[in-house]
Amino acid sequence: MSKKKTKIKLELTRRDFLIVGGTAAGSVVVAQFLTTGPLSPFASFKQQQVEGGEDAGSLITGHRWGMVINLDKCIGCEYCLRACSATNDVWVDIPSENNSPENKRPEKPWNIVVEEKTSTGTPFFFSRPCLHCADAPCVEVCPVKATNHREDGLVVMNYDRCIGCRYCEIACPYDARKFNWQERTDVNPYIPTWGIAEVERRPRGVVEKCTFCIHRIDAGLKEGFMPGEDLEATPACVNICPVGARVFGDLNNPNSKVSQAIETEATIRLREELGTEPSVYYVIPKEGL
Amino acid sequence: MATSTTNDRKRLYISPATLTWIGFIGICITIGLVSALAVFWNGLYITNMTDSVPWGLWITIDLSAIALGAGAFTLSAVVYLFGLKRFQPIVRFAVFVGFIGYSTALLTLVMDIGRPDRFWHPWVYWNIHSVLWEITWCITIYLTIMLVEFAPVIAESHFFDRYPWVRQGAKYLHRLAPMLALIGLAISLLHQSSLGATYGIVKSRPIWFKPSMPIMFILSAIAVGPALTMALAIIAKWVTGKKSVPDDILRSIARFSGFALLIYGYIRFWDLAAVTYYGRTPSVSEAFNLLRQQTPYNFSFWVFEIFLGVFLPAILFLVPRFNRNPGYLVMGALFAVTGIVINRWNVTVGGLFVPLSYSPGTIYQLPPGKYFPGLPEWGVAIGIIGYGLAMLTLGIRYLPLFSKEEHS
Repeated sequence: MSKKKTKIKLELTRRDFLIVGGTAAGSVVVAQFLTTGPLSPFASFKQQQVEGGEDAGSLITGHRWGMVINLDKCIGCEYCLRACSATNDVWVDIPSENNSPENKRPEKPWNIVVEEKTSTGTPFFFSRPCLHCADAPCVEVCPVKATNHREDGLVVMNYDRCIGCRYCEIACPYDARKFNWQERTDVNPYIPTWGIAEVERRPRGVVEKCTFCIHRIDAGLKEGFMPGEDLEATPACVNICPVGARVFGDLNNPNSKVSQAIETEATIRLREELGTEPSVYYVIPKEGL
Repeated sequence: MATSTTNDRKRLYISPATLTWIGFIGICITIGLVSALAVFWNGLYITNMTDSVPWGLWITIDLSAIALGAGAFTLSAVVYLFGLKRFQPIVRFAVFVGFIGYSTALLTLVMDIGRPDRFWHPWVYWNIHSVLWEITWCITIYLTIMLVEFAPVIAESHFFDRYPWVRQGAKYLHRLAPMLALIGLAISLLHQSSLGATYGIVKSRPIWFKPSMPIMFILSAIAVGPALTMALAIIAKWVTGKKSVPDDILRSIARFSGFALLIYGYIRFWDLAAVTYYGRTPSVSEAFNLLRQQTPYNFSFWVFEIFLGVFLPAILFLVPRFNRNPGYLVMGALFAVTGIVINRWNVTVGGLFVPLSYSPGTIYQLPPGKYFPGLPEWGVAIGIIGYGLAMLTLGIRYLPLFSKEEHS
């Protein structure tokens, strides 16, 4: 009996109606705004990086630099490694000298060259510069924007801003980054045989990586040279390759060497499933991988 | 005359135990300072970190210290937001412990970065996409909040007898406590979980990349942070012989911590089941196989993280026979703290041990990232612990951490 007395009556006053209705309508509007409006945060944040490389960049400079590495042509001579290490003055341990087991921290090159095999057992050589991803994990994680996207798609380092937290090193899926654990005191064995240092040594405590020889691209373009076509504006590793396994150029230009190679050959990019959109393409061996 | 001299004597008298303790802390801090100077002078070269394992012991300390400082925001929220005024007497102490935890983390972070002279860069050069940027901001803001929350306590110390205006200001600040607790809660919910996200978002690392990471980090922090505060309050009572916090409050905190640990264990169980039993993606299986074969990961996971770190403390905190005895509570907290430290170590170093794989071929493999902290790293760690102990000792000795006058 007492239950009936305390029965809840649903009385909807105008005020309640307005509050409930307003909240519902408001959430629909907010949801709509968040999913499709200009504030749709996650979608647009993610795209920004890519657009910086492709659309916005092409409007301003018109270029997006990329590289094609032909795994079929590469003979594993390591000339690219040496030219790179000389030109960018990278600290590299010569295997015979400093690769003893006690060396806990071998100095790795910016550009690695290693022996590989396809799944059918055919040997080939694999080399890897920085891939200059359009959606680079390293750019995303850097707490101080010391590494960022340029309009032409290059992932560049600001050595004056880097605090050396090494999060980018951890986030890079391709092991392309290298930390300066100590002040450089070494004599670079590749200079002058393989080139001369065109950039300064990086200070202790910052992270560095392959730049696609950005100093050549920038200076070259100013003087009217075209990267990928003229040696003056092309990365050292591409110039030195004795078999033409590396080509460089503008991915936005359909007539550039890289675009042509991507169009005519079977290419892959490394760990494409991660969605990093690398700017380096690999022509796979004829037998397949 | 006679009485006054004895009084003077009493003031100067330091018991052998105290002297030993001060000496111990002094040695710890000296070792830490020497190691820190060596690192600043030579660079991170003298540590055992490498390009394949760029984070090690120091990051483990950062993560652990921040997680262990979680008692501050949890207990502040309990009192000021959920209105459980019963817990008021421990809030000050919790904020104090939290402050030690966070300042410890910042100190270690400065050691760990390659350019300590640029520690201020995250505040000037923003990358709003970076979780590490967000964490840096949150930690600094939260440290400030704790300082403001704590200001009334410092103002109460005898030193400020001469400056009444300081007390007046502090009293005003104290009225902000509920608001500070709210901001503190929001900020803590953000960064305690983003510390896990630091790992959880790295898609190239198979055993890190999962959405459960932030949740597990914040849950374990909420569970163990208050437990540490509770244990330290008990120890303070033992050492000083003075009343600190009523026993029933400490027991309630222990029970809360026990339940939180069980929830954390429950989430971990599903995480493990989803990742290893049901998921079993090739890269993850391979990574776990490698860890099992070449490191004590499996042993330390089950023994230290799960049984000693979750189940044992949960039993000690929840079963009435044990949680009536403060000794068991301290023991439980000790195990839980060890569990969380081992967990942060396993996450960091275990995840980095698994090498990246990106080659299109079949034979090129990076070597597993072997790492064990070097002498300078241990030295800094000892110094950091010394700093924490020194702060605790000084605080318990000179600050009115346990006074109950703000009850009204």
